[in-house]
Amino acid sequence: MSHKVGCTHCHLEFNDDVMIVDGEHYFCCKGCQGIYHLLKDEGLDSFYNKAGDTKLSPPTEQYEDSLNFNSPAFYDKFVSLNKDGFSEVSLIIEGIHCSACVWLNEKALHKMAGVISVNINYTNNKAKIIWDDTVLKLSSIIDMIRAIGYNAFPYDASLQEVRANKERKDYYLRMAVAIFATMNVMWIAVAQYAGYFTGINQDVKTILNIAEGVLATPVLLYSGWIFYRGAYYAIKTKSVNMDILVATGSTLTYIYSIYITAYERGEAYFDSVTMIITFVLLGKFLEVLSKKSVADTLDIMSNHVPSSVKVIEDGKIVEKRINDVKVKDLIFVSSGERVALDGLVIEGEGNFDESNLTGESEPVYKKISDKIISGTVSIDAQIKYEATKDFAHSTLSNLVSLLEGAMGNKPRIQIMANRISEYFSAVILGFALITFFTWWFWPHSFERSFMVAISVIIIACPCALALATPVATLVGLGIASRRGILFKQALQLETMAQANVLVLDKTGTITQGKPKVVQTHIYDDFDHSLLYSLVQNSKHPVAKGIAEFLYTEDISYFELQNVKQIPALGLSGEYLGKKMFGGNLKLMESEGLIVPNSTDANNTLHVSSNSEFYFAVDAKIVAKYELFDTPKADAKESIGIIKSMGIEVIMLTGDHLSSAKKVAHEVGIEIFESDLTPEAKSLYIQKLHNEGKIVVMAGDGVNDILALALADIGISMGSGSDIAIDVSDVVLLNDTLSSLSDAFKISKRTYFMIKQNLALSLLYNAITIPLAMAGYIIPLLAAISMSFSSLMVVGNSLRIRAGFKK
Amino acid sequence: MDSWVIAMMLGVSIFLGAIALVAFLWGIKSGQFDDEQKFLNAVKFDTQEDLNDAVAQEKKYKEMKKKNYTPE
Repeated sequence: MSHKVGCTHCHLEFNDDVMIVDGEHYFCCKGCQGIYHLLKDEGLDSFYNKAGDTKLSPPTEQYEDSLNFNSPAFYDKFVSLNKDGFSEVSLIIEGIHCSACVWLNEKALHKMAGVISVNINYTNNKAKIIWDDTVLKLSSIIDMIRAIGYNAFPYDASLQEVRANKERKDYYLRMAVAIFATMNVMWIAVAQYAGYFTGINQDVKTILNIAEGVLATPVLLYSGWIFYRGAYYAIKTKSVNMDILVATGSTLTYIYSIYITAYERGEAYFDSVTMIITFVLLGKFLEVLSKKSVADTLDIMSNHVPSSVKVIEDGKIVEKRINDVKVKDLIFVSSGERVALDGLVIEGEGNFDESNLTGESEPVYKKISDKIISGTVSIDAQIKYEATKDFAHSTLSNLVSLLEGAMGNKPRIQIMANRISEYFSAVILGFALITFFTWWFWPHSFERSFMVAISVIIIACPCALALATPVATLVGLGIASRRGILFKQALQLETMAQANVLVLDKTGTITQGKPKVVQTHIYDDFDHSLLYSLVQNSKHPVAKGIAEFLYTEDISYFELQNVKQIPALGLSGEYLGKKMFGGNLKLMESEGLIVPNSTDANNTLHVSSNSEFYFAVDAKIVAKYELFDTPKADAKESIGIIKSMGIEVIMLTGDHLSSAKKVAHEVGIEIFESDLTPEAKSLYIQKLHNEGKIVVMAGDGVNDILALALADIGISMGSGSDIAIDVSDVVLLNDTLSSLSDAFKISKRTYFMIKQNLALSLLYNAITIPLAMAGYIIPLLAAISMSFSSLMVVGNSLRIRAGFKK
Repeated sequence: MDSWVIAMMLGVSIFLGAIALVAFLWGIKSGQFDDEQKFLNAVKFDTQEDLNDAVAQEKKYKEMKKKNYTPE
């Protein structure tokens, strides 16, 4: 009896009779064995200690020749020279599972002569490699990464990403200075307020004031620089924003405090200067932190475009760059390759994966004079086709450019707090001016009127206003992430709360994404292990569904003879002289087998939305399985909840009408469209936009990305394709629709709290500003009320949690 | 208590704090905190060998730079 053992390299477990035995080690494939010996020879086998029991992916075969990476065109695009004259490239490394993988890659590359520096990021698997191009070429580096069982492809570390990181880092630095100074100013301020009550010597007070002044200076001039810059741009465009209020308020307070310190009378307000700047900076920082870069997405997308194709010229195969291929060129595609240009099949036949365009995982069979579309992947086909369009006009590159456009022009709903703060700032500055002139002309001196005007600006502390949105969204994001809902930008909570249409993709979003056996008809007893062994030989989703259905503990796998794939029909095989067929109705008919149910004339006319799979042993059909891509367990309930919030639910799918109808009916969706191309989906969203709707789109496949990018909020499933996750604004990690309805609930609650926070901070100002204008504000009250208003907003935001305690 | 004691204590403690701040800023600027996972793993797993490797790598870079240097 066979038992399961783990592969020494990748730790995946298989039956011991299929493993390669090498001394005391077992390997699942030649690739793993090769890597193990390579690491041992190189003295890198301590990798296995570091990796522990982590399961790695076994090495996959590489189709693209690494020598392509040495072409001048490639160097032009991806390789740059650094200031010391070394070459630099950015790579994304595939197959990294743990920190040991990062260690292995870095170590193996360091060992190569000519490689100067390797830096791999644990989080996004992006690597920056610096090497001396006179010693070795990029292809040897890529070969090394492949040799140890990973794959690497270059990406354009474009300016956008670099700029976003730089901005973030800049904010970090300014925040660090501001927080450090504020914390120190605060404990000095404790001494001052204590002195205010119990009495304090003027010379001690001056020392404390000077210390505070020293700490406040870098905060105002370095951390506060952002507000000066913002104020400058606002004045230039003749508008008023919060930056102006913060800049004038803190600068005037700072100058006034210096004056107080120098003349040794009254109270200095250095603590207010640092507090205002730190709090408002914190609010801004939270916004910057969650900005995502469009650049990353396009990097991954262009990785889906092959860089060269095999063109047949005078009977010979020549590699050509995709941009050099002309219409009417003959192109050769072998199995596993991605089609780069649109065309017509001239020779050969086989299955293509069109999930990029339709979202359906079921392969499509193509034969002579069928159209093939760029972006699809050949599963088992070896064909020649004639290009009908050049690359720039092919479907795939159209998709890329449409995507680029969609992401750049994403509709942005103006953030409520920004709108309010514009008016707020203008009003406060106006009030301060009015106060100043009123007090100047009647009844007091310049000094007194200046002080009162400043107190208006200080008391109107924008802290609470600045914190109202970020703190509430932060709490909302925290609750969401604990439930497996990741919002990429904080502001999207606000947009989502205002949405009134939810557009859903069918396959993989509402449904499981893979067919499951829903009905079995057994006509005769047979050994399930036979069928199990047969379907193991196919990658077709139906075969996978059957294998999953049949799998039990005591099922075993037999080595079959003469296994043959019959394109678009099914597969056949032999075991101990028994001939077996598995496939659809057509296969059975073409083999001349009597199909038990086909006598029912009505049944053949009726097009079932279930896929059918027949199994025949020794020229007799013994079983029929019906498979259907069933909706997720919580789909109906969650869609009901979303509908009850007053949101319209629409289903868009690339699948056929019959199965679309069935799914829509099962989950309770009235409006749906079927047979849609990616462009048609995005047009549908555009149409909703034109009607003035705010649209949330949820999808998972490459065919959804245009729609996801175009919608106000794109939501992708965590198991979806990388590009879909990248394009979307929200990711549902657990793939359930109940987390989708949770996302709506959380965003609505957060939005409500934001509104309440803004109302609270405005109310606070409505009470305190008249007091300040009348000159009644004493320093203690100013300080207490300032902190109090901020605390009030923070405390109120925490109330979002109520109702989400599970 | 003389007020200069307060002044001195304030001065010294702010100065010490400022040194820590400057070190932190240098850390951010030189990219030591760019990859939080790497940073944390290094604390947990780095061995003497890894540190030696890092030094060897720096040396290698300098040597290559010297070799590669061409006055303009």
